[in-house]
Amino acid sequence: MLSGLIRGKVALFIKIALVALSTAVLLTLSQSAFAKGEYVIAGFLFIVILLINYTYFSKRTVPLKFFLPGIILLAAFVLTPILYTLVMSTYNYKTGNYISKEEALSRIQALALEPDANASAFDIVVGEFQSTPAILVSDINNNSYFISTPKEKIALDATKVEIDEYQVAQSAEGFTALESGDISSSAAAKKRYFFDGTYFIVVENLNVGAVFRQSLEYLPEQDVFRSLITGDIYRDNNNGNYVNENNQDDFLEPGWRDPSWLTNYIRLFNDERVRDPLISVFIWTVVFATLTVLTQFAFGLLLALALNKPIRGRRIYRSILVLPYAMPSVMSILIWGGMFNTEFGAINEILGRDIAWFQDPTFARVAVILVNLWLGFPYFYLVSSGSLQAIPSELLEAAAIDGANPRQIFRKVTLPLLLQILSPLLIASFAFNFNNFNLIYLLTGGGPRNQLDGEIAGATDILISYTYQIAFGNNLQDLGLASAISVLIFFLVASISLYGVRKSKVLESFS
Amino acid sequence: MTRWLKENLWRHITGVVMCLFALFPLYLVVLSSFNESGSLQVSSFYPKDISFANYQVLFNDERIPYLTWMKNSLIISGFVAMTSVIIGAASAFAFSRLKFQGKRFGIQLLLLIQMFPAILALSALYVIMERVYKFAPGLGIGTQAGLILVYLGGAMGVNIWLLKGFVDSIPAELDEAAKIDGASAMQTYWQIFVPLAAPVLAVVSLLSFIGTFNEFILARLFLIEVETRTVAVGLQQFIGGQFSENWGPFAAGSIIASIPIVVIFLSLQKYIVSGLTAGSVKG
Repeated sequence: MLSGLIRGKVALFIKIALVALSTAVLLTLSQSAFAKGEYVIAGFLFIVILLINYTYFSKRTVPLKFFLPGIILLAAFVLTPILYTLVMSTYNYKTGNYISKEEALSRIQALALEPDANASAFDIVVGEFQSTPAILVSDINNNSYFISTPKEKIALDATKVEIDEYQVAQSAEGFTALESGDISSSAAAKKRYFFDGTYFIVVENLNVGAVFRQSLEYLPEQDVFRSLITGDIYRDNNNGNYVNENNQDDFLEPGWRDPSWLTNYIRLFNDERVRDPLISVFIWTVVFATLTVLTQFAFGLLLALALNKPIRGRRIYRSILVLPYAMPSVMSILIWGGMFNTEFGAINEILGRDIAWFQDPTFARVAVILVNLWLGFPYFYLVSSGSLQAIPSELLEAAAIDGANPRQIFRKVTLPLLLQILSPLLIASFAFNFNNFNLIYLLTGGGPRNQLDGEIAGATDILISYTYQIAFGNNLQDLGLASAISVLIFFLVASISLYGVRKSKVLESFS
Repeated sequence: MTRWLKENLWRHITGVVMCLFALFPLYLVVLSSFNESGSLQVSSFYPKDISFANYQVLFNDERIPYLTWMKNSLIISGFVAMTSVIIGAASAFAFSRLKFQGKRFGIQLLLLIQMFPAILALSALYVIMERVYKFAPGLGIGTQAGLILVYLGGAMGVNIWLLKGFVDSIPAELDEAAKIDGASAMQTYWQIFVPLAAPVLAVVSLLSFIGTFNEFILARLFLIEVETRTVAVGLQQFIGGQFSENWGPFAAGSIIASIPIVVIFLSLQKYIVSGLTAGSVKG
């Protein structure tokens, strides 16, 4: 009784300590998130704090006490990214349109620079003058020196500055130079320094400044840019860019991400540059997943049948056969990649050929299936031999008494039963291989692909690796389109898996 | 004798052929780890002169912090395995044993979000963790702590699902008896369920360990500094170009890295298979 009481006290103390600790940590994080302008994250953390305190100090929330940590993690790192992907799929989120409109505006203005007629550049020293950022400029050709701040230009007497052997001014009275390590990160490097009113000096690097003038002007009332040189007007085209009114091909860089609603989804079906590769990739994905499951299952079952009898050495066979499955798959895939190497690989050496496995579409596909067979047949061997033992022996005996030969028994009794037991696993395996990113990415990288034509889809690319290429590849990166394909894949895989779940009737126990 | 041949010969032939197929790449790796030439070749099928140079490179070359990678992998996978099972077990218990509104919906939602391919949420994860980095540099992109958090989130779905399968198979009589004796849900959980389920929790955490150890894409995206990488990422970069195709040390490295996983796997074979049939495929 007493010990129970003490334990209760200790448990209460631990609970309070844990809740207090997590509240303190999350509150700190929430505050700093708020301070940095990440209001959504700050809000999320704050709600989490409230939830934790409510859940663990209220008596009414018993199931939630068990669920809360899991729910928080799922919400933060699984659900939110999924929702974010959904949102991205309705944006024109791609190379050139990565940033928000506000950022794009300031970036366009910062980039809208026109050099002066001679493209003049001067040697400079970055520093401070009368506690404002300033540069010390040496116009060597005219033998003139001046200090320039964002607001004004102060001419210096050439005799009063300290110059080095190249006639570059190093210091002047009232001017403090910055340490060279601080310059690139300092605000002083990003300022525009006064030159003659229209033109100004921009810090190009540590000791060079160039003369520019502003070439575009933003008119906030109309939300347009006006060229100060030609007078052309650039208007928001509602698709993330300012486009020249007189010339549709002339738009300002960078653009911004703008809602494009269903455009990405429509492109999947209407834009042939997107649709055609997508269809061929989809076909290969289905072929790949089907062949993989079939070959893995066939070899696994064959082994299970062969070793279903207590023959000599069965244990040794078994231990060796599960090795491919026990190896970390990342390593195995990379090893196979090395073995398929054209010049130095073991496979060509044994075959005595010079097959360029990963340069030829057919060979690359064969290699992918073969490697996946190696990776997966032990799994099906293990589950099939388990299921074989689950088949009641009475059934087999009854069939034998009825005069069926072993082949008939296998085809008419064992196999149908086995398929019934294993069909949820076969479907799960299909769904898994449908998205077997690691294999494709690490073995062939999706290739071979014709990169000269700007082709993104390779011969062995499955949907998921193709999507990865679109989102993160070397060519144009299009997160919006990739997200739209992701959503499509989600629906495909979800329907395959739901079909499998229904088959295995996992959900039955909750109804 | 002929009868034996007829009945058992094909079994042995199948077994031997498949064993050779299974062993071939593994044997080759072992062979090239002792060979200095640096490619996955079969100059001979038995080791001619055994050299430990590749192993020495792993432990002595300053450009290859192999031991640090190994340590990173073990720490990250260990932490994720333990924590995700502690958190997941509570949820699995509640799903399996408690009655509450929206239980069916919760399970279906769990199944559904598990079907969203994690790799596709990669860009979103990246953007989120980049933002986290802005206010908490210790947790955001580029940090192991951030990676661990993301792993924990990802492990939730699978682990709750797996654990639920196991928990369902533990007879409910015991905790029902405890309930009748007046134990609260918390007491039942800590004093009846956790001790009973301890072996199962251990198995699931080892599975989780293997899964995390094997994870590659997120680790590569997150861990930018060479010193923070996991062994899978480190070794991949190793033959990926940074040091040109350098198979000898890679072979040695992957053998050492695989040993703990293979040992865990073989010793837990029975449980792992039953866990896998409960509804998931190893990644």
